[in-house]
Amino acid sequence: MRHIQIMSIALAACLSLATAAARSQDEIALGKTLTTNNCAVCHAFGQGEPNGQGPNLFGIIGRPLAAAPGFKYSAAMKAAAAGKVWDEKLLDQWLTDTQVVAPGNAMTYFEGDEARRRKIIAYLRTLH
Amino acid sequence: MTQDNRSAQRAQSRRNFIKAAGAGTAAATFGAVTLPASAAANLKFDAEFDIVVCGGGGGGLPCALFSRWLGNRVAILEKAGSVGGTAAKAAFWYWVPNNEAMKRAGIADPKPDFLKYVARLSRPEQYDPSLPKLGLSEWEYEMCEAIYDSASPAAELLASKGALPYRHEAAVPDYWAELPEDKAPRGRVLFPKDGLPSMSDGGRVAIRTMSTAARRDGVEIRTGYRVQKVLLNSAGAVIGVEALTEEGTTFRARAKKAVVFATGGFTHDPELRKNFLHGAVYGGCAALTNEGDFVRISSALDVQLRNMNYSWMAPISLEKAIAKDGSLSGIFTPTGDSMIYVNKHGKRVVNEKLAYNEVCASFSEWDGAKGEYPNLALISIWDQQAQDNCASDDYGSLIVPPGSNDRHVIRGNTLAELAAVIRERLAKYSSAIGGMDLSDDFIDNLQATLKRFNGFAQAGKDADFHRGERVVEKLFNGSVKKKANQKNETMWPISTKGPCYAALIVAGNLDTKGGPKTNSNGQVLDVSGVPIKGLYGIGNCVASASARAYWAGGGTLGPILAFAYRAANTAHTESAST
Repeated sequence: MRHIQIMSIALAACLSLATAAARSQDEIALGKTLTTNNCAVCHAFGQGEPNGQGPNLFGIIGRPLAAAPGFKYSAAMKAAAAGKVWDEKLLDQWLTDTQVVAPGNAMTYFEGDEARRRKIIAYLRTLH
Repeated sequence: MTQDNRSAQRAQSRRNFIKAAGAGTAAATFGAVTLPASAAANLKFDAEFDIVVCGGGGGGLPCALFSRWLGNRVAILEKAGSVGGTAAKAAFWYWVPNNEAMKRAGIADPKPDFLKYVARLSRPEQYDPSLPKLGLSEWEYEMCEAIYDSASPAAELLASKGALPYRHEAAVPDYWAELPEDKAPRGRVLFPKDGLPSMSDGGRVAIRTMSTAARRDGVEIRTGYRVQKVLLNSAGAVIGVEALTEEGTTFRARAKKAVVFATGGFTHDPELRKNFLHGAVYGGCAALTNEGDFVRISSALDVQLRNMNYSWMAPISLEKAIAKDGSLSGIFTPTGDSMIYVNKHGKRVVNEKLAYNEVCASFSEWDGAKGEYPNLALISIWDQQAQDNCASDDYGSLIVPPGSNDRHVIRGNTLAELAAVIRERLAKYSSAIGGMDLSDDFIDNLQATLKRFNGFAQAGKDADFHRGERVVEKLFNGSVKKKANQKNETMWPISTKGPCYAALIVAGNLDTKGGPKTNSNGQVLDVSGVPIKGLYGIGNCVASASARAYWAGGGTLGPILAFAYRAANTAHTESAST
């Protein structure tokens, strides 16, 4: 009986881990859709792909601001970039309203929906 | 087959059709739903506004602002993940006849002459200055008058509210500045105040300032909301819309006064493009979300489609168009003095420095004997001198500086090597260009073409196409390094020694300009010419009265501001629907 209990707990734990993993996979998949809809007009995501209206976002997390090779950033973006590195918190602020983080920069984007931002960031995190 | 099966099959086939037509979007159904009185009363809406604007680009943002400033509750439902639409990528010059800056500078722009200029260019086959409407239809004349009357008040109101401060670009000429009808050949172009001196980034500035003002002043903006249906009550009045969100949920918005469509044209719907436009058009720099949604939605409403055969055109890079490259721009400045366009036979077919819309007439030229488009794709060819001195990242220049996105550039150390690489590239895109290849005599012809062009360049006179003889051609020449003995700044002999460069170009759109016909207040008209209550359309999703004409730089956005202004003012006066 006790054995069965342990088995059940272990099974439940496995199941919930699997569910969490699936949820995270779902989040990334939906994040990819959202990122495509929201960002692909101006940005590329693949390693070595050319910059568009905006810089390539491959490897964005951990990269200093305004540092994509070959991309010409606006003066406002360069001014706001000093000493900053893209992490999830800064990306969340950025996606909430780019003009608050770097006033006057070339990108106008604002997403008030926290869940959407989280999914987009979940996908961007996979670009390494 | 049972009735159910047949209708299920039809529904399935329509779904597949729309899925195939839409670029990367989920299967969607478009149309209109007329609700019986009881259903209209009971239908649950997720939100209620006075005016719902569909589309948050160069038409939707100003229209929402004008509507809001009149005291209405206003929402923008934008299909893309971000506001801006095509305008965000545009230079955003706006052509405003008789604008306040002209008046301040003492530049006269009389209305009768303005109307003659636009009439002559829009309907050259009917133009007659002795007629009261100059040969235009009543509708075309009324629409052109509306542009003259309302573009300037619209621009002034946007500027005074801080939504779109401008500067006057008094030196920019109209595209036919030398026509006798053009009594104000310079002075009609306004530009967002904080844009670069090159005037290439106005769209980014304008979308930033207008969307900031919209949020400041209480316009509700929802992005990732694709409007798919208009909802009508039993009296046939539009009472709201249904949108599909990015998450796949349905959102219903009640519009007490009006729904305004500003959703762009059908540039990125290959099915509509093929069926309405003349010749082969390979997409363009319109926002990728411009998939003809309003053409499909309004098809259920007995509207009158007009001007479907014309678009705002610009040459584009074949390779960037096929790759759906985010940096795709129209080729507005055909940079390079030592540069020419040739066709697959190695022959020049056009004055390369014509305004972008006008160059595009060449692509659809038809060879009736051979049964082919000889100029389906043209090849821009330039030399090291042009590469060193004329490269630019602005205005879709094909000659780009080192480090820029150059996926479209073909290189060869000799002309023969260049031709070989061009052949490889054409083979790569064979299925998109009907198997087009260079002719066997391409290199011989190209050498003869270069020799002839180089003679013209030395003499400063292009005896074949008169390159560089008109004002507008110098505007689009791009930067050159002036040589002491250069007689025509748009031409310089092309070195045949190599290295040499090339790029493939095809016809593209800034966007289309056909759709349901509206009156000059933006009200969508039914087949009998009566406004559909509560339904408005502005910008490239509705019929433009410009017909074939691209009157001037900003000839797109200036008129759009005028109609956004007029639609907002008229929608404001609508009685609330029930």
